[in-house]
Amino acid sequence: MPLPVAPDLSIVVPLYNEEESIGPLVDAVRDALGAAVSWELVLVDDGSRDATVQRAESLAAADGRIVLVELARNYGQTQAMQAGFDAACGRVVVSMDGDLQNDPRDIPLLVAKLDEGYDLVAGYRMRRQDKMITRKIPSWVANRIIIWLTGVRIRDNGCSLKAYRRELLDQLHLYSDMHRFLPALAAATANARIAEVPVRHHARRFGTSKYGLSRIAKLLADLLTIKMIASFRESPLAMFGFGALASGVIAMAFVAAWLWSFAQRTGPLNSAHVNAYVLPGSALLCVALAAFLTMLGLIAEEALQKARFEERDDRIAARAVIG
Amino acid sequence: MTDVGVTVIVTVVERPEALDGLYREYAAVLDACGRSYEFIFVAHPYFHEMLQPLLALQRLGEPVRTIEAARSVGETALLRMGLDDARGAVIVTVPAYRQVQPSAVAELIAAVDAGSDLAVARRWPRLDSRVNRLQHLALHLTAGRLANGTLHDIACGVRAARREVLLDIPLYGDFARFLPLLAIYNGYRVVEVESPQHPNDLARRVYSPGVYVRRMIDILGLYFLLRFTEKPLRFFGLIGSVLAGIGGIALVVMFVQRLYGQPLGDRPLMLLAVLLATLGVQAIALGLVGEMIVHFNASRRRGYRLREPRKPGEDSASRS
Repeated sequence: MPLPVAPDLSIVVPLYNEEESIGPLVDAVRDALGAAVSWELVLVDDGSRDATVQRAESLAAADGRIVLVELARNYGQTQAMQAGFDAACGRVVVSMDGDLQNDPRDIPLLVAKLDEGYDLVAGYRMRRQDKMITRKIPSWVANRIIIWLTGVRIRDNGCSLKAYRRELLDQLHLYSDMHRFLPALAAATANARIAEVPVRHHARRFGTSKYGLSRIAKLLADLLTIKMIASFRESPLAMFGFGALASGVIAMAFVAAWLWSFAQRTGPLNSAHVNAYVLPGSALLCVALAAFLTMLGLIAEEALQKARFEERDDRIAARAVIG
Repeated sequence: MTDVGVTVIVTVVERPEALDGLYREYAAVLDACGRSYEFIFVAHPYFHEMLQPLLALQRLGEPVRTIEAARSVGETALLRMGLDDARGAVIVTVPAYRQVQPSAVAELIAAVDAGSDLAVARRWPRLDSRVNRLQHLALHLTAGRLANGTLHDIACGVRAARREVLLDIPLYGDFARFLPLLAIYNGYRVVEVESPQHPNDLARRVYSPGVYVRRMIDILGLYFLLRFTEKPLRFFGLIGSVLAGIGGIALVVMFVQRLYGQPLGDRPLMLLAVLLATLGVQAIALGLVGEMIVHFNASRRRGYRLREPRKPGEDSASRS
């Protein structure tokens, strides 16, 4: 239900089969925030198959500050978060996990940090209560790689507890599994100012974890995407141009090897010998790759023309509203 | 404005029966339901002559309209043309031949009234020839997997849906065929209604090889659309890294052997390895372009759909 006045703070919680957690979660948020600030709690049901929706409905009916957003099917955490962001009206938006691993008592700390002049404040989990082999080590490696690739120094990208300024969220559009890389995306596309604060972490009390080790291949593909967006968002042609150049250099190396093999030859020249086609053939393939990459870069520029102009218009419109 | 209860859209594109007889049979079912209705026959120009009896019915005051495509178009385009003209709150689509008993339409409409977004008939029990069943099996082993086992007869064209649902689902190419899969993907509730297969549907269906190739391409397109639209790099990246991986390993092995004295220049395997590596890089590069396009278009379109508020009286526990 829309509140008469937009609250200062919106807390967005995606929920997928969290029927046991939802009650304690709402209580914890209520205890942590009290009546000191005006807040709303946006519960996003991501197509749960248990009683999550029914419980959320009765909670929302009992407390006007609780808003329920129901997705039509299970879309995944990223889309659930985006739906929550779209529904949230607060000047500051906080995202949080629905499984009670984050502590709502940390929310005021994040908001205070945000008020120091940041666009995004990310929590990092102190004394993380997870399994070492399957969770902590992969997570540490992934965070190192993300820092290395994007240059955004976030210690714990996997921690959902984050606070955002409304204006930042208006410029971000989440898709695929991009919620994990939100700080990197925010830095790359919106030049966001980012800070970190330590937050508490509890072991999972109910239900099972919805992650597994099988995500690594997907993670790598996403990382490559993030890297590309961070580095070559402005000119995809440059990226493909570098690729084409590298391919051209390899082609030259094959040509050089070919000439070298002729120079080494002692017997008479024989065009039927395989030497006459393997190395030059390899060189030609690399030249073809270089040509392909160049053309692909041109097509990419072409395909993005319209979107770029629209994005610029959005930015101008947003500035007019704020200014 | 919707002033009609049910619009029946008949796409006349394949194996049509006498259309006036078809109309009478379905109209009798709808009369028995007590619903107001209209019929729209959308025909491929090839079946121009078959529309004539319908024009006679129209002159008699029956609620029948006919649309004839100006050029050769497929079932999806015909359906879209019919939808543009449909006024009913519930839309029933049927092919121009009987696949199931016409009484199934009443059950489909009842299912939509009960809160489903799309109800599809399932020809069951099947009385088909072996050839048809084999094709059915092939379709369900490929495209059918996209429904996670909830649908058993995607190809059946007898369907009923709320009008907004059909207008919301983007229909293009040849995808009308896979409408139930697209509906599930868009978060709509789809149910199946079983109905015995009609004797007119039993003819052996054997198409030209080109048709099968076309179907395979459609299924590939559908698979990509439903699983990877938002993450093209996962699709192209998988293909690319397998190709580049094989090529790369072969190259490394050959370079190591070169260090031990075996010359590189006269090994044809080298050519294959370089080919695989370049193909792999091409696939990954295409995936990256796809990701770039998705990234820039993410602001244009929301990637989720909210559940519509439930009607009063509908139990929230009845959701699938």
